[in-house]
Amino acid sequence: MNVITESEENEKVGKEEDDINFYLEKIYEPDLRKLLSRCYQCVRCSGVCQLSKVQEFTPSRIVELILEGFEDKVTESGVLWDCLSCNSCMQNCPEDINFADVVRNAKYKMKALYNHKADDYIAHKGIYTTISEILSKPYINPDKHLDWIPKECDISDNGDLLYFVGCVPYFKFEFDEIDPIPISALKIICQVEKEPVVVLKDEVCCGHDLYWGTANFEAFINLAKKNKALFEKANVSTIITSCAEGYRTFKVEYPKLFEDFNEKFEVKHIIEYIYDNWKQGKIEFTNPKETETQVPFTYHDPCRLSRFLPKDNNIIEKTREILRQLKDLGYEFKEMTHNKENALCCGVSSWMNCNDRSKGLRYKRLSEAKEVGEIMVTSCPKCIMHLSCLQKDYDELASIQIKEFSEFLVDLIKVVNTNKTGDVKE
Amino acid sequence: MEGSVVVIGGGIAGIQTSLDLTELGFKVYLVEKTPSIGGRMSQLDKTFPTNDCSLCILAPKMVEVFRNPNIELMTYHEVKKVEGESGNFKVTVLKKPRYIDESKCKGCGDCSAKCPKIEVPNVFDMSLGKRKSVYIPFPQAVPPIYLIDPELCLKLTKGVCGVCEKVCEVKAIDYEQKAQDIELNVGAVVVATGFEMPTEELTSRWGYRFKNVVSALEYERIMCASGPFGGHIVRLSDETEPEKIAFIQCAGSRDLHENVPYCSSVCCMYTAKEAIITKEHSENSKCFVFRHDIRAYGKNFYEFTQRAQEEYGVKYFQTKISMVDEDPETNDLIIHYEDLKTGKFEDFRANLVVLASPLVPSKGTRELADILGIELDHYDFFKEKSYFNKSLSSKEGIFLCGFCQGPMDIPETVSDASGVASQVANLLKDVKFTEVKDKVFEIPEKIVNPTDEPRVGVLICWCGINIGKYVDVPAVRDYIKTLPNVVHCEDNLYSCSSDSQARIKEMIAEHNLNRFIVASCTPRTHESLFQETCQEAGLNKYLFEMVNIRDQCSWVHMTEKEAATEKSMDLLRMAIAKSRLLKPQTEEKIGVTPTALVIGGGISGMTAASNLGNQGFKTYIIEKEKILGGNLNNLNILYPIQQEASIFLNEIKAEVENNNNIQVFLESKINDIRGYIGNYDVIIEDSMKEIHNLKIGTIIVATGGQELKPEGLFQYKKGNQNVITQLELEQKLQNSDSSWLNDVKRVTFILCAGARLKEGITYCSNICCGTSIKNIGILKELNPNLEIVVLYRDFQMAKKEFEEYYRNRRKDAMFLRYDLENLPKIKKSGKKYGIKVFDTNLQDDIQLETDLIVLATPMIPADNLKELAMMLKVPLDRTGFFLEAHVKLRPLDFATDGIFLCGCAQWPKNIQDSISQANGAAGRASRFLSAGEITTSGLVAEVYTEKCIGCGKCKDVCPYNAIELMDIEKEFEELTITVKKSSINSALCKGCGTCAATCPVGAIMVKHYDFDQINAMIDSYILEKVKNSS
Repeated sequence: MNVITESEENEKVGKEEDDINFYLEKIYEPDLRKLLSRCYQCVRCSGVCQLSKVQEFTPSRIVELILEGFEDKVTESGVLWDCLSCNSCMQNCPEDINFADVVRNAKYKMKALYNHKADDYIAHKGIYTTISEILSKPYINPDKHLDWIPKECDISDNGDLLYFVGCVPYFKFEFDEIDPIPISALKIICQVEKEPVVVLKDEVCCGHDLYWGTANFEAFINLAKKNKALFEKANVSTIITSCAEGYRTFKVEYPKLFEDFNEKFEVKHIIEYIYDNWKQGKIEFTNPKETETQVPFTYHDPCRLSRFLPKDNNIIEKTREILRQLKDLGYEFKEMTHNKENALCCGVSSWMNCNDRSKGLRYKRLSEAKEVGEIMVTSCPKCIMHLSCLQKDYDELASIQIKEFSEFLVDLIKVVNTNKTGDVKE
Repeated sequence: MEGSVVVIGGGIAGIQTSLDLTELGFKVYLVEKTPSIGGRMSQLDKTFPTNDCSLCILAPKMVEVFRNPNIELMTYHEVKKVEGESGNFKVTVLKKPRYIDESKCKGCGDCSAKCPKIEVPNVFDMSLGKRKSVYIPFPQAVPPIYLIDPELCLKLTKGVCGVCEKVCEVKAIDYEQKAQDIELNVGAVVVATGFEMPTEELTSRWGYRFKNVVSALEYERIMCASGPFGGHIVRLSDETEPEKIAFIQCAGSRDLHENVPYCSSVCCMYTAKEAIITKEHSENSKCFVFRHDIRAYGKNFYEFTQRAQEEYGVKYFQTKISMVDEDPETNDLIIHYEDLKTGKFEDFRANLVVLASPLVPSKGTRELADILGIELDHYDFFKEKSYFNKSLSSKEGIFLCGFCQGPMDIPETVSDASGVASQVANLLKDVKFTEVKDKVFEIPEKIVNPTDEPRVGVLICWCGINIGKYVDVPAVRDYIKTLPNVVHCEDNLYSCSSDSQARIKEMIAEHNLNRFIVASCTPRTHESLFQETCQEAGLNKYLFEMVNIRDQCSWVHMTEKEAATEKSMDLLRMAIAKSRLLKPQTEEKIGVTPTALVIGGGISGMTAASNLGNQGFKTYIIEKEKILGGNLNNLNILYPIQQEASIFLNEIKAEVENNNNIQVFLESKINDIRGYIGNYDVIIEDSMKEIHNLKIGTIIVATGGQELKPEGLFQYKKGNQNVITQLELEQKLQNSDSSWLNDVKRVTFILCAGARLKEGITYCSNICCGTSIKNIGILKELNPNLEIVVLYRDFQMAKKEFEEYYRNRRKDAMFLRYDLENLPKIKKSGKKYGIKVFDTNLQDDIQLETDLIVLATPMIPADNLKELAMMLKVPLDRTGFFLEAHVKLRPLDFATDGIFLCGCAQWPKNIQDSISQANGAAGRASRFLSAGEITTSGLVAEVYTEKCIGCGKCKDVCPYNAIELMDIEKEFEELTITVKKSSINSALCKGCGTCAATCPVGAIMVKHYDFDQINAMIDSYILEKVKNSS
């Protein structure tokens, strides 16, 4: 065991604190009014707020109170902990005010000022964010087993292209419905790539839930630093993930901390990866089974892959392009009433606030899905967990199959013209 | 008629009867001749099959006795004279002098620590350990009061010394104390005097004179962590760890030469347990069991003996022992034995030999029988009035309980004890609750609001030098005084003394305290005392907290005073942090409908119902068949008393039918059961399809069992009319026409047919051996020329009468022993059957022809129990029988309060045991019916409905079925959905907190142990540590 003397330890702690403050400034804005100053109280937000359909919650009133100097009243009451951060408000805001981000900053503030505890609002007693917090510690280096990886996949700890597994291995003990996600994604990637794909044994959490859910920014910063160092050490230039939250975090949040993050690493969602390879002619969609019937299916847009992305990101349309292509394979894509940027929320954000209201929201989402399809595809592990969980309570919704994007596609993708296809297909 | 009972004997039988009797409304005088209650069970190391520490599961019951205001504990007393008659006995009890004033002694142990007398053998440790002449038998003794051995004490024998008097701070030593006669007027007497294991009386061939041959009870003490060797298994000659340990079963029992003709009935199981525990102590040890038959007839018993062999590698030899000799050089033992599998004599060398020697009635049984004027049987056990009610002695008003009536194991004893209590209640039903007292508090409870500033008072106990010597109490006191909200803090010598109670009340009044904390010994024994004191001072008892600085500080840190002192401060600071958040809790009273439902109208159900009916409670029996009686209807003669089953059945039926309190529903079924203890709504559909809505207080499950029909096994199939089961034979024998026997020259019984297998039915069904032996005799009487062959594996004849019953009929048949590896093979040839079997006694293949084959198949549970179990929300075990709350100490209860079980619903058993259990279950059930109401604890879990997400995880984990999910309509702007919400029944909740720990959203909290309170304790500890370290 390493023995660190007390003075060394103190010095180290001191340094780390400076370091944390340097990064904290980049992602934490204590003055909420600054973030809201453009608001002119058109009150669109309160009309579209998804949470307001199931409980009294009016973003515009809250904004108004803050702007008028009653910020302490709002924060002390704790009402902001209820926000789903679905971003429907921002989607409709003429001034692009990011209310979810205001809530995120407010959470950090509420914890500091009023001793609010995220634990009072979190589900599963906070075990999952606790895991993230543990992983954020500098001396914790996970050594995950990788024996779930399909035999045919060639993986390495060093290389150009990394598949970021994310939290599935931690969640799967309670939610086995997400097991196939990384397996399907890796199967697809490994068929396409000539070089081994990087999967890290010591990968840590991206920190999304600490950033949006419990507002533990310090732990988030530590995770980001750890991840960046790991990516650098593995000489990675492209990062692929199946997770909507991880994608948004790498794509938008990490560059706030590290200016060069986007230059160093190209971040792709598995949807984009499939789309690009399809467009480059490397893969095509076929159905190994002959079919004459058309299975109607639909797609649920996770907030992190729709409203939460910069306006120039067109992943929503790319997704549609792929899904419509499947009509020839026996799967007919149909939109739900609320789709794309207007999609309904899966009901839970970053493990916060699992309750009756959330059940109401989830019930609405699945009822819409049932109207148009037998299968609901989505691309966020959390949406899958939350919606599948509700199915256990309501028999009338149990028939809908909920599938993750690559899980749905893995058997419908054929690799064109690569050396490896022979090995894989056997 | 007196509403009180004297119970003689403070072992588990006496303890359980006493506790049940007080709940049934009687005052109990519990007389025990030794200085502590606990009996033999307190001497055991562990108990099978769970291998729980024996004392750990017994001690809570001992403490319950100690705390019970309606039990007068008379340890170190003996019954000298009994006069009068049932309902009005005058009992003279001799109080032997302890030479210590019981009202003053605080059990601190200062006297014993300073006693200079050289040590003498400690009887509790089977004389293997040592004690002083002023002593307490064992640390957990109840009552925790010391005594002086007058034959050893220097002061009492020679008039010198007197050290103990000088060191005793409370002046409890009284050398002048004299024996004293006490007269008690009681309505009934219960005898529960238990057994002993006088190994020294065995003949020399068992070798007990050698140092390394010990009795099983001595071995229990050797294994025990609190025993003379601290739990290290050693042999006595050189105190080294033995490598090869031989356990010899039936050492002297079932043996007319040793004067113990019966089977002690518990040795097979404790031997397997001792062997397993030995292996757990030391992997290098090798255990060998020299067995004769294996009598593992109880629930999961046989499987336990198999586990010993398969999992732990204990080697079993089927043997007879000729003698045990010693190698004088090594003190090893040489066992000369006959291997029953090979028929050869061999020698076996062991480092240590453990004898399962016979268990016999306690010393003094004969004298007590004379005093009580009751009879003994020819084994010197107390004689029961009738075979089928073993609780009644030969004299009315005097009851027999436990091993003093005949060999039985702990669960049987506990059932028996509850049964005795119910029968006493029957006798004295008119004077229930005439002599018991309920505590009334004079000062009204003062209102404490959560917003009131906490005013904490703290009392720290020195416990003589027990705490004071190892913890710097004044330093702790001065530190505590500095903490916020502590209004007053003082220390004293004995916080539990009666003047201390007065002082606590003064403090509360003087300083207007609204929280009180005592730092002393364990809450297990003393919390209720202090709580009561607080209540007397008008303080809600949930505003009291107790800190155990004796066990957790002074005892475990005896050599580190500073650490012990710091830890005391920490523990107290944490308790104060918690106490600030304490809230007064209320204990609700819930009414109990004084009616009972008995499910099943067999012998168990009828017995339970008549018991309850006789006690005056309206009782309903529901039976699915057209007639009452269950399996008894199909039986011919009942063994061992050879009574005709129909006569016995008709007597019982008449008793039920003539009882005005009993209503019977025949050919009926239960449609629904809702509610909880005291308040069940049961819907019954009778034979006319009429619906009855019954309000029920408690439910007894007596659904019985049925015989397995072994389709395809041993040629049992359609067409083979001469391969029948035991029950089919009974039905043939019921018929007075026995002409069917004329063509039969030879009958073959196959025992364990389809039982004790490796897979499927792995258990021993308990009753088949006895039934077969009975039928051998009956067939032989019908046709003396009949040849009978019995193919058996082990003879399970473990009741006191059974061994002789078997011996007397041995001559009537030829007995061939087979084993599981070589099952008998049967071929049909014409009208006869050819049987080929390898006889392990002869070590040879035997071939024979037979006209009739009788298969003794195991008993299996009644049909459709799953449905009933779901309705009752009680569990079934792996074998499909109902699963009781605790295999040892709660054999008749379900974990859910208000529902009880008895008879073959629990496990295959004979009529005597079924009746004993049925009375026991009636006793357990009538405790609630007698009281008329139940008081719920304030310490229960509560759901915060708004937060609950209805996931149902709490319901899944609740061990007491106290949680239900309710449907609640939830309206939102655009839709209304039904959501589930958890709801906890405080009458059933035990406050264990499993639900609160499981709830994923933190919607459940346990009152008095809520998350804020526990967090406050943890914070208080950690924050202080962090502060000190920085």
